Amino acid sequence: MNLDYSLLIPEYLLAALAAVVIALGLYDTRRARTYLPYVSAGGLAAILVVSLFYINKGPLDFAGLVQIDNYTTFFRVLFIGITAVVCLASAHFVRDRLRHAGEYYGLLILSTIGAIYMAAGRELITAYIAMELLSFSLYVLVSFAKMDAKSNEGGMKYMLLGAFSSALFLYGLSLIYGVAGSTSYADINAALSNGVGDFGIAMLMGLVLIIAGIGFKVSAVPFHMWAPDAYEGAPLPITAYLSAASKAAGVALLLRLFTEAFLPVLSDWRWMIAALAAASMTLGNLVAIQQHNIKRLLAYSSIGQAGFMLMGIAALSEMAASTLVLHLTGYVITNLAAFVVVIAFYNASGKDEIADYRGLAERAPFLALSLTVALFSLAGMPLFAGFATKFLLFQAVAKEGLLWLAALAVVNSLISLYYYLLVIKQMYVGETEEKVRLRVPAGVNAVIVALVIGVFVVGLYPQPLFKATDNAVHAVFPTTAAKQAHDTGSSPSESPLPGR
Amino acid sequence: MIRLESFLVLSAILFSLGVYGVLARRHAVLILMSVELMLNAASINMVAFAAYTSPERFTGIIFAIFIITVAAAEVGLALAIVLRIFRNRTTANVDEVHQLKW
Repeated sequence: MNLDYSLLIPEYLLAALAAVVIALGLYDTRRARTYLPYVSAGGLAAILVVSLFYINKGPLDFAGLVQIDNYTTFFRVLFIGITAVVCLASAHFVRDRLRHAGEYYGLLILSTIGAIYMAAGRELITAYIAMELLSFSLYVLVSFAKMDAKSNEGGMKYMLLGAFSSALFLYGLSLIYGVAGSTSYADINAALSNGVGDFGIAMLMGLVLIIAGIGFKVSAVPFHMWAPDAYEGAPLPITAYLSAASKAAGVALLLRLFTEAFLPVLSDWRWMIAALAAASMTLGNLVAIQQHNIKRLLAYSSIGQAGFMLMGIAALSEMAASTLVLHLTGYVITNLAAFVVVIAFYNASGKDEIADYRGLAERAPFLALSLTVALFSLAGMPLFAGFATKFLLFQAVAKEGLLWLAALAVVNSLISLYYYLLVIKQMYVGETEEKVRLRVPAGVNAVIVALVIGVFVVGLYPQPLFKATDNAVHAVFPTTAAKQAHDTGSSPSESPLPGR
Repeated sequence: MIRLESFLVLSAILFSLGVYGVLARRHAVLILMSVELMLNAASINMVAFAAYTSPERFTGIIFAIFIITVAAAEVGLALAIVLRIFRNRTTANVDEVHQLKW
């Protein structure tokens, strides 16, 4: 068994950072709320640099529980980056509207560890515990505005449905464990390749329950009921975090679990995921049209986006998976850009209805322009991240014989353009009584500029990122994964020691 | 010797009762108790599979211990949130908490 603790340094650092942040929040309560976001973001940036050292390292595993390869490294960087952006975006919101800043940032950082292990786990127990670590932190964060009835309600709905779905997930895991006799992905893969004999029904049942549990995390229809309520009730930066990190973590877990463990029974689950994808994108986009609150609009749009991502899982090939991760990254950057603008607008005006955005182009031209860029990118207009990544993803899906799904996705992109345009119309064409210009702090503007530049870079020059996702996905895919399974043997305890 | 099937049937019954409880109960605390039933069903499955299919390894039993720990943490957290709702609304009935919709 490989117990090389140096493989997990980024996570130890994250845990230490969380402890420091919480302690600062406790002992320096008055001043901490102003400097904690910058302490957290600075620490996260440093840890991000540390995790860059793991590029092209491995594949190595820690005690057969956690796999360190390019896939893990990619998601480590992505999740730490998301958390850093969310910390910066929270600064003014938390200072003005929430108490207990230390716990807030501490929990955000802890949930990042959960997200990373969801992508890194190579074994069911680790995956489950990681998912719960992410979920528990988020239950608290969603209901963090203690006195706000909406936040309480969003938190309770999220928590009850989350507990229910994780129980479904767990029962599914127990069935798969029974069928395969092991919790390690590689062993499950081997057991399923040999045929499951009389356990066909148990395996199918397990797959259904596991898909339900992860479908809840990525808010796929019909497991999306919590999303609009939690998104609306949660403090705004947490909404941004939910739509970016929580979804990305779900997709990361789904991709690794289904390629490394369940690939031999592809035909049994492909249609389930394809059906979920079709339902999510259609329902998400249709319901988004009639929303009048910007948070709920973005919630339903993110449900639609979950449909696009599941599509990449249904068409599971190395190409599709790589474009899926690319699309996911583009979506995360774009969505964070949209949310940071929404947060800045809310901080300045205290409003979050779409009608309140009327005439924003005059009151805050930069915010309006950035939101327009983000929404166009979400809709998949050329020039922006959304176009390049969607184009590649749809192409890969069509190539795998799921042409109907790709066609449906194109139609849905058009529908989504309609409701994004409604918001843009409000900002540019609508007239408003209020002529006061909105004040946006320089730090927030800098974050928005960085994200908008990210949107354009991914849209116009995606090659470097595409190469990174290719490398990442290569680590989990059968060509290499099969070799690893062979190397590791049937028992994780026989895994070779690393040469570090 | 009790057969493996008996344990699986027991856990399936427990699990179904839990699902029924979540869907039919309206009080947040009772929904949580139903979720606990589902988690326990999963634990029974784990331990039974561990004992019957691979007795030389303890994976399933360890998993069951993890489930118990996670379940305890979950209840602690969930009750805190329910308590918050109850303080603000004087009800913990999921039907009566409906400020957010569509």
